[in-house]
Amino acid sequence: MSRFFAGGSSDSETESSEEELYSESEEEKSEEELSEDEEESTEEDESEIESSDEDDGRGFLKAGAKGSASRFLRGEESDESDEDESKRVVKSAKDKRLEEIDAIIRTIENARKINDWVHISNEFDKLNKIIAKASQQGDTPKLYIKAIAELEDFMNETIKTEKDSKKKMNATNARALNSIKQRIKKNNRQYEHLIDKFRADPDGFLLEAEEVLEPVSQVKMRKGAEFEAAAAAIRLGAAATAEDTSDAAFSTIGRGGRTITITPESIFKQLRAILEARGKKNTDKAEQIRNMEKMLSVAATIYQKIRVLLVLIATRFDLTTSTASFMPVNQWKSAQEEIIKLLEILEENPLYVVQEDAEDIDEDEEEPVPKDSKPLKIFGSVISLVERLDDEFTRSLQNIDPHTPEYIDRLKEESVLYSTIIRSQVYFERAKLDPSVSRVLVRRLELLYYKPEQLILSVEKLAWSTLRDSLESEITRYSEDEDASQLINAICVKLYNQDNRLFRTRAMLCHVYHHALHNRYFHARDLLLMSHLQATIHTADISTQILYNRTLVQVGLCAFREGMISESQQALQEICGTGRVKELLAQGIQMQRYAQTSPEQEKIERQRQIPFHMHINLELLECVYLTSSMLLEIPFMAQSGSSPDAKKKTISKPFRRMLDYHERQVFTGPPENTRDHIMQASKALATGDWAKARELIRAIKIWDLIPGTDNIKQMLGEKIQDEGLRTYLFTYGQFYETLSIASLASMFDMSEGKATALVSKMISYNDVAAALDQKTNAIAFIPGVEYSRLQNLALALSDKAVQLIDSYKYR
Amino acid sequence: MPSTTTSYDLVPRILPYLDRLLIFALLEHLSEQKLYPAEVLLQAKYDVMKDTNMMDYISETYKAIHGEDATVPQEITERRKVVLEKLVEFEKKAEKMLEIVRNPEVVNALRSDPAQNFSYVKDNYGVTPEMVDILYHYGKFQYNCGKYAEAAEHLYQFRTLSNDTELVISATWGKLAAEIMTLQWENAVSELLKLKELIDQKSFTDPLVQLNHRTWLIHWALFFFFNAETGREKLTDLFLSSAYLNAIQTSCPWILRYVTVTVLTSRNARKTAAGRSSTYATYQKQIRELVRVIKQERYEYSDAVTDFVYALYVDFDFEEAQTKLAESADVVKTDPFLVGSADEFLESARHLVSELYCQIHQRIDIRDLSARLNLSAEEGEKWIVNLIRDTRVDAKIDFSEGTVIMNHPPQSVYQQVIERTKGLSFRTNQVLAHMLTTRNATAAVSGAEGGEAQE
Repeated sequence: MSRFFAGGSSDSETESSEEELYSESEEEKSEEELSEDEEESTEEDESEIESSDEDDGRGFLKAGAKGSASRFLRGEESDESDEDESKRVVKSAKDKRLEEIDAIIRTIENARKINDWVHISNEFDKLNKIIAKASQQGDTPKLYIKAIAELEDFMNETIKTEKDSKKKMNATNARALNSIKQRIKKNNRQYEHLIDKFRADPDGFLLEAEEVLEPVSQVKMRKGAEFEAAAAAIRLGAAATAEDTSDAAFSTIGRGGRTITITPESIFKQLRAILEARGKKNTDKAEQIRNMEKMLSVAATIYQKIRVLLVLIATRFDLTTSTASFMPVNQWKSAQEEIIKLLEILEENPLYVVQEDAEDIDEDEEEPVPKDSKPLKIFGSVISLVERLDDEFTRSLQNIDPHTPEYIDRLKEESVLYSTIIRSQVYFERAKLDPSVSRVLVRRLELLYYKPEQLILSVEKLAWSTLRDSLESEITRYSEDEDASQLINAICVKLYNQDNRLFRTRAMLCHVYHHALHNRYFHARDLLLMSHLQATIHTADISTQILYNRTLVQVGLCAFREGMISESQQALQEICGTGRVKELLAQGIQMQRYAQTSPEQEKIERQRQIPFHMHINLELLECVYLTSSMLLEIPFMAQSGSSPDAKKKTISKPFRRMLDYHERQVFTGPPENTRDHIMQASKALATGDWAKARELIRAIKIWDLIPGTDNIKQMLGEKIQDEGLRTYLFTYGQFYETLSIASLASMFDMSEGKATALVSKMISYNDVAAALDQKTNAIAFIPGVEYSRLQNLALALSDKAVQLIDSYKYR
Repeated sequence: MPSTTTSYDLVPRILPYLDRLLIFALLEHLSEQKLYPAEVLLQAKYDVMKDTNMMDYISETYKAIHGEDATVPQEITERRKVVLEKLVEFEKKAEKMLEIVRNPEVVNALRSDPAQNFSYVKDNYGVTPEMVDILYHYGKFQYNCGKYAEAAEHLYQFRTLSNDTELVISATWGKLAAEIMTLQWENAVSELLKLKELIDQKSFTDPLVQLNHRTWLIHWALFFFFNAETGREKLTDLFLSSAYLNAIQTSCPWILRYVTVTVLTSRNARKTAAGRSSTYATYQKQIRELVRVIKQERYEYSDAVTDFVYALYVDFDFEEAQTKLAESADVVKTDPFLVGSADEFLESARHLVSELYCQIHQRIDIRDLSARLNLSAEEGEKWIVNLIRDTRVDAKIDFSEGTVIMNHPPQSVYQQVIERTKGLSFRTNQVLAHMLTTRNATAAVSGAEGGEAQE
């Protein structure tokens, strides 16, 4: 990789075009040399190719001295003078292949003579492998056709004689024969017409074949070259020796000249060549892109432009290999601009439609144009390009350090991405590409759902301001006084009504998240419950599960903001109770003790990470979870007090653990972090010192991150009062005979009415054994309800028996 | 308090879920109450009736609106003719069919299986499916003309013969409406149950359709409030069955008011029905269920009645409950469906309050309690005496102090264990019986196979 970059110029191109050159010039080699070549081993060949690469520059220099025609040739003189460099023969890959083929065919012939089918079978396999490689680049050598045709004949003959003769072949041989019979038949079917040709006129074919026997014949070159030469021309570059191989409709471009004459006519050919080269080794994509950019400026017709753009954008995305962490920003930007350009063209020419299910158009004869005002379908997929653009954006955000200005710069480009998405959405709507509309809507939704209302509005405004006025979306009509929730609603409703289950799920989760973010707890909860996602979410893909977790956490936070402590605790329990919060929310990789993660796994995990700006503040999350756990757990602990199963039942395990740890400490200093605050507050609450608990909880700084901090603190203060009273009654109730409501109310700084209501509730739920006395306005505790151990066990037993009966299922 | 009553008025919300003629019945009822201006109601009546076939009634209402002398519009008189003609035509068509189904022989031969019935009449009297369908259409037409009794009869006959599930459901709806209109409550209850069965059974491809059917059923069931006694218990069961509770929660939370009233008043009905101790337990269970739902749906729907329950059972705020009770008295008295059961509701509500009061308190000030119940001191005292007598509350009145002293004996462990294990032996037998039957069933199957193998 680095070599290519360091080289700056197009090394690989040079290499390939050099190959062409060699092959041409090597015709001039004598037969004698050839036989020499054949004997050489493959290994040597490979090293030669490489060394020829390295020698590149040198070669040029030398060539300059020697004169153009034969500078890469192993000219006689230089050959001899380079004797010490061992027998370095420069050959093309093609030559090598032909030689190999030839060698193998000879072995097969030899084996035939002794009727050794095992050997033939092996060699045949080898041959086919090489041919497969060869036919990737050009057509099949005639030599091969001859060989397989003869082989088939021979095989048939053998089988016939085998049947006639009584003598059996040995077992392995027979088996080999049988298997090769199948394979030959299958294989030969591919080359049927060539074989027929050979059969029809063996001599003529052989004549040709003889020529083929030479490494590369001029004739063949002329025939097969057209395509390859075209490719070579596009790969541009070398070919300093303007020894034109063909008189095709293009001119090869001199390395120094750099005048590229891509004519509109040749665009399709060149595009095809690029597509063929896609995914192969040694294709320089940067060079291809440069070419295509030029092609784009040359392209005359709409069709050509669309075609070039489609390939160009796809190639840009190809640039990012798995080794690079993310797409270079400038490439991303150009890709984005080109998508916009493509959309522009498509918008202006409604008769051209890019579709995934369009048929390949044969563009060799004449360029297709829409006929009879029927739209012309072009094969391609705009949506996948847009999706890719979005993916690459996310990937770049995943990889850039979020604390640098770079991250912020990158984040600013989100608006560009967003407007691209909207634009494509408008286009899809107009072109009635329904599947694409859903796909783009999901993307759009996922850019919006985690944003608060004002942010959505400003993003929308910015995006629409970059679009032309004439563009308007059916599904999400933009207006000045837009309502963010309505927008989300419109998108989600559209997504609910389409068939893709995954999109429906994601839309549902995003919708819930949005509701929860805007404090609409009941909407969020109802939607989440009605979706029945809890039952099926574990079967979903991981990114959806992450979204589900995020949504759940957001619902929990929303409940907390609304003062619904136990709801909040329940929602958060599932995520925060596990101790794997980071992993579940995909907000950073948590080191697992005792767990071995392979690098691949880690890499996959990294790819799942949520970009920093979408993170839910983990510290706040923990704080909310622990606070709500405290409010539930402390009275609960006081209530269960001495009963035998008190230890078993816990509301929140992590909270209990932390509390235990905190209690074991010999010295407790003043609270430093959030956790300390909550733990000390818990202790204070447990002893009935609600005022201290309130102070400690209110002193936590992170509440400032929640909008409406004062309300939250107010709410928490009240909850602490309530729970403090309950805890007090649970803990100290047994030491009183009567307790005046008034003093209780003053102790917890609340109105008498409220205290009465709280106590009434506890009495009614049988939490405490007490009753109110209206005359004295006091709580009268009913004594003697302490049970002995045996009695407790008897009660537990009866409970268990009832449970057992209940658990029986009538079927 | 006109403002509160109209703001709590649910009629506009309920109307979309009712049949034209049921609306008409409701409007009749409303005009008795004078909650709305008479002209508005008349006009509404006219609008509702316009598309039905009760032509005479339409022209009457028209005259009532526009004055006695106004000439009835041409189209109405013309339609009257058409309707009459149609009626005659239907009569002719259905004549033969009616003869057959009214034949006592046939009536005796009919069984519960419609397919069998149909093949019977087909074989013996040459009835075709089309003839059966005529019964349905005829019944529908008669219903539209206001001839409910005939409609009910024809629809019933249709149902015994037809296998078309769609039409059968439709016919059942029609019959239910007809029974309601003719005030045949016994029949109506059985129709209601039948319909419920049909809706629950039928595997609706679209759950939304099922939900809609349930919602309609719930609303139609409201008409049972016109009748105080019959079916009240069934109504409670209907409302509190989980499927219908869900339907209420999702599509019509305002029904919660009626659910509350039915649940609260069901206490009296039960007491008279059977004096079993378990009824009180179920009553408690129902109340708990009700409280849960009200709590859940509070953000979507609340009115004085549900607020009363909420204040009482969630907040334990007796003062708030008191004001809400006064408010809900107004609401209940103006609600067209509930007006009949207003007193009953108030009494049950008072019961609830005093019960809870007794549960929580050790010593109660009689005056205080009376105020909580919206009663005078004397009435309150009477009330408490009755309460002590009726329910087996362990309480005494201290006259000099003006208090009630409650005796809350701590429940002994033995009592608790006995209480918990009370049902166990019965249920164990149940489980055992069930296990035996299932085992026998499987044994029969496997036995048959095994027997063959042995032979």
